[in-house]
Amino acid sequence: MSAAAIPHDHAHDHAHDHHEQSWIWKYVFSTDHKTIGMQYAVTGMLFLLFGFFLMLLMRWSIAYPGVPLPGIDVLRAIPGLGWAFEEMFGRWLNADGSLNGELYNMLGAMHGTIMVFFGIVPLGFAGFVNFVMPLQIGTIDMAFPKLNMASYWCFFVSCVLMMLSFFVGTGPVQTGWTMYSPLASTMTIGVSDVWNHGHTWWLMAMVFNISASLLGSVNVVATFINLRAKGMSYMRLPFFSWAMFVIGFLLLLAFPPLEVAALLQLSDRVFGSSFFLPTGLVEGGKHLDISGGGSPLLYQHLFWFLAHPEVYVLILPAFAILSDVIPNNARRPLWGYKTMVYSVLTLAFLSFLVWAHHMYLTGMGTMMSTYFQITTVLISVPSVILLTCLMISLWGGSIRFNTQMLFASAFLPMFGIGGLTGLPLAFSFIDLALHDTYYVIGHFHYVVAPGTLFALFAGVYHWFPKATGRFMSDKLGKLHFWPSLIGMNLLFAPMFIQGMAGFHRRWYDGGKYFEQTAAFQNWSTTFTHKVGAFLGLDIPDNMLSLNVVMSFGAFILALGQVPFIINFWISIKGGEKVKSDNPWQATTLEWATPTPPPHGNFVFDVNAHRGPYEYSVPGHPADFFPQWESAHGTPKPDGSDAPAKTESAHAAHH
Amino acid sequence: MSDSADPAELQKHVKKYLLIGGILLAATAATIAIAFYEFPTHSMNIIVGMIVATIKASLVALIFMHLNHERPLIYKFLAFTTVFCVVLFVLFIFSNADPLVDHGFDAPLEAVEK
Amino acid sequence: MDIPYTVHARPDTGLYNAKVGIWLFLASEVMLFGGLFSSYIFLRLGADYPWPIHELDWTLGGINTVVLIASSVTVVWAWAAVKMRKHGLYKILMLITILCAAVFMVNKTIEYTGKLNHWSVTLTDGSILSGHLPKDEKGHYIPYQVKFEGQEITLTVSGMHRAVDANPVDYVLPHIEGGAPKFKAAPAAAAYSFAKAKSPDFSALGSSDWELNASTFAQIRSISLAAAREAWKAERDDKIALAEKALAAAEALPEGQERAYGIQEAKKALTSAKNFNQVPDTKIKLVATAPFKVAVEASKLLARQTADAIIFRDGSAATGKLLDDKFTLEADALDLRSLADQAREKSLAFDARYLGEKWQKHFIANRAAENKKFDEKYSDGKGGVTRDREKSATFKKHAYGLHLDSPEPKGDHGGALGDGPHHPVLHIESKDITFFSNYTPKLNTYYAIYFTLTGLHGLHVVAGALVLAYFLVFNGRMLREDPEHLANRIEVGGLFWHFVDLIWIFLFPLLYLL
Repeated sequence: MSAAAIPHDHAHDHAHDHHEQSWIWKYVFSTDHKTIGMQYAVTGMLFLLFGFFLMLLMRWSIAYPGVPLPGIDVLRAIPGLGWAFEEMFGRWLNADGSLNGELYNMLGAMHGTIMVFFGIVPLGFAGFVNFVMPLQIGTIDMAFPKLNMASYWCFFVSCVLMMLSFFVGTGPVQTGWTMYSPLASTMTIGVSDVWNHGHTWWLMAMVFNISASLLGSVNVVATFINLRAKGMSYMRLPFFSWAMFVIGFLLLLAFPPLEVAALLQLSDRVFGSSFFLPTGLVEGGKHLDISGGGSPLLYQHLFWFLAHPEVYVLILPAFAILSDVIPNNARRPLWGYKTMVYSVLTLAFLSFLVWAHHMYLTGMGTMMSTYFQITTVLISVPSVILLTCLMISLWGGSIRFNTQMLFASAFLPMFGIGGLTGLPLAFSFIDLALHDTYYVIGHFHYVVAPGTLFALFAGVYHWFPKATGRFMSDKLGKLHFWPSLIGMNLLFAPMFIQGMAGFHRRWYDGGKYFEQTAAFQNWSTTFTHKVGAFLGLDIPDNMLSLNVVMSFGAFILALGQVPFIINFWISIKGGEKVKSDNPWQATTLEWATPTPPPHGNFVFDVNAHRGPYEYSVPGHPADFFPQWESAHGTPKPDGSDAPAKTESAHAAHH
Repeated sequence: MSDSADPAELQKHVKKYLLIGGILLAATAATIAIAFYEFPTHSMNIIVGMIVATIKASLVALIFMHLNHERPLIYKFLAFTTVFCVVLFVLFIFSNADPLVDHGFDAPLEAVEK
Repeated sequence: MDIPYTVHARPDTGLYNAKVGIWLFLASEVMLFGGLFSSYIFLRLGADYPWPIHELDWTLGGINTVVLIASSVTVVWAWAAVKMRKHGLYKILMLITILCAAVFMVNKTIEYTGKLNHWSVTLTDGSILSGHLPKDEKGHYIPYQVKFEGQEITLTVSGMHRAVDANPVDYVLPHIEGGAPKFKAAPAAAAYSFAKAKSPDFSALGSSDWELNASTFAQIRSISLAAAREAWKAERDDKIALAEKALAAAEALPEGQERAYGIQEAKKALTSAKNFNQVPDTKIKLVATAPFKVAVEASKLLARQTADAIIFRDGSAATGKLLDDKFTLEADALDLRSLADQAREKSLAFDARYLGEKWQKHFIANRAAENKKFDEKYSDGKGGVTRDREKSATFKKHAYGLHLDSPEPKGDHGGALGDGPHHPVLHIESKDITFFSNYTPKLNTYYAIYFTLTGLHGLHVVAGALVLAYFLVFNGRMLREDPEHLANRIEVGGLFWHFVDLIWIFLFPLLYLL
């Protein structure tokens, strides 16, 4: 690459200076980390939307059990979409168009699976890490670009298989995202053609999904270790890259046991083995034609050995993104950078030792349950450190409240609620009462929905200008943020109350047919009743009224995503153009590349001169001091170390 | 592992590989022989058999996979992996040995004897 | 634009990229096999049946161990050869490695095939007979089938979407011998349980000699569903009308508590009537013009057959006469370890219909001999033994089992083996069988984990061999121009190959020997 102070516009042409790639190799089967990152991110966002839609159907059934879906006839009449809806969901609906328990179970299981494995991980981990990390550590691509492409396409196959499971004979799985055996292994076993079971397709999709994430995480960790730029020592790496490195490790070591679980369950399904099926299992009054001798507990161990680290795979991208967004918009260094790095490493280590706190109800002995309670409480320490460091980073800053910062600041209390409500669940005696209630649902949704998702939105708004060269609209961004915040809280906060009142998480009717639980009243139901009366609505003064409130919240949340979708697609071509390569006046290396970054990323020889968070350095002429600048602002006399010009006067969006 | 391409050095390595190969074959024969000798309990057969297998596996890892002189980073990876793998083994088994049902830890060990 | 550190090591980490990558990959492989081995231990500790010991033939496993160790030596030698620039030697050694992999897989195939053709039958009292199926003149195995002569078929078309729904085209017709059966009268449906519902009218199918096939079934199905929906609607209207009547009656009451309560209850009833959405199932009876023959494997049936009915996996039932449901087995071994000590000699397997008295005597004599042998071997010199015999896996295997390697016990007839079968041939009635399977993952958790572990390991062998073969065949130019790069590749491929060997070192004793 020539290194010269070329006029900005010409920097874009560097991508084309060796050979022209055809469209399909450039955008579809690309080995470029940025393209793959965007492929992952867009796929992830589409799945998040789809998973969200499943949730809306569920919420309808919970709030209005037995009432036909509104607009169902219109939906069925739409060509194409109507057919797809009919094949995926419509054929399971009751004759009058209302939901039943069977369909609700399918929606619940697929909502969980899709949100976790096909939504948040691809967007939060694979999407952001692929796009940002190589830029941030100052290299030209991932360590194994072809493997990277293979990873995406492996993931793509798994997406296709997962979607196909909606269309097969017995429909998608109905046994929750945890897929516990023996229920999961024997459900609809009466149908002898295994390919007619959504479950078989689910398992195959998971095997591909896991393989994809293994390939991806090998790549991330190897890149992190071996491809750092000159001067980029471990303690000069942005926390973003550290967190992503840790996630890579978690996926690498925690996913294989789940792959084992999936393979063994597939064997139970397809070859009739009994890994997870105990002796003498009876279903529908008949002894099953199996040898028995297996253990359902084994499945739970294998599953949660992954699924607890998976929780941190879901939440760490949030910390990663915010560790860039918050210092950048507070114009302050990240508080306690080293502490955060050591915390995240401790967190990763401990996350492998706590899994059975999901299994207190399996009748494990007191000794083991004590062990798991202790480790579970221990692991809250590093998480609290991470959150506290982010919070203290705001102290004394002159905060720019642009859209990403709004999401970031909302994350802090929201994740706080999610995390703190998790603490009681660490203790087996409380968990015995709250297990599988809406309390648990509220807890982890506060962690991943207004927690992780808000951070992911912040990330999208933050790096969008780097990826496309255009800003997303700030006005639409705010129109996205406020309904999301209100909707999320209306949706998830009442879950704690319902949960403590004993509402079970898998009631498709929202508890309507459980009279004692449903008739329970307290201040929240009375409040809801009175607010309803004030608005002229007839909302009964009992726990069921909260279902209506929550579904109303979900509806607001749905409306709130419309501005985002419009904003995202319109801004790609029609957003305000960036005037510099570093529009947010950030310090990390990804902002030293041309916009959008060409194949090969950097147009100069990258050298990291200092730590990643040099904001408001006392005595420094500007309020930020990027990693790539050897001295303030002015490049060397020949201009050779000037990556691109930085426009220091670019006003923050208010 | 060694970046040096000194032929004499490598020739020595090759001799070592052949020797280790011979030891492994001998150890395989020993494994089979031991398996048909009856120790006082079958659990002891299992333990002895696994010790021999572990020695063989260590030879493969140390000599063939050059783990006897590898970079510190690789050792760090493998140390964590080993810890988690041990956790996977030990905790699964302890969780299975539930005092409420199995009356202590002896019960599952006796099951081996069946 | 090249990725840095693909050939030479990065100075501060001392590693090139692929080396970091392969070790990370191997770390995850360790967790994968760690999970499987952990499952092995978990299943073995929790097994409620005698865990098979020395049941697999160790010779094939032993040969495979030798083969893999040899290939491990050659692959690391091949790497050294490239480093020393001895290209001819490298090619030979690599070829040997790949051939070793081929030998390994051939052995594996032989082992697997043997198991697929070996069957095990568990009787109701827990006795286990194993052996082979009889062969026909052409040398093919004759599968165990239930034979049935049917007169009528009853289909159940479910009104709501269900996993098990009538589908005779896929689940019944394939098992009927001599093509699709013909039916004499138009099918008749049982009346719906709803009072005002009309039964479906199938006269469109014709009154005689119509054939059950995909198109006629589609017709039956659509007529049934339409009728069921009509029935549901009529029932719902009925319920609504009733509830409205009750509501009107309540409203007519004088003002007061009773009226309020009545209205409340009637409103509830009205809501539930409006939400009533149960579309009933339609049961349709078809009567055949002539009896039809069914031959079906037991696994294709939903429930065990009775003397006059069999139920297929789609819920369709055929009524008629059961002709034959005996499992014919050329038994080669009997295992009575799962029985209580007193019950062993009275095992169902010694019933006169099966092995009979001669084998029973043989078993008793053999057990006594084994006991004596054990007493002598572990004698403590004072009339006792130094070892608990119930803790000796080998003793139990020999004393509580029997090899059936001649049609009659050898003591009586001197083991005369002529042209006839080499084993007792048993016709086991299905009512005496609780479970049967060939030696596949279905048989028990031991074979399940055996196939999973060795199968996954076999896939690794194949994958590793393919990668090494790729280096040998397609990387000739790299060998000449950039041997250091190829040496790196071989080192990385070799690391994987050694790992595969390492796994087998544990698999071999765990599955074959201990």
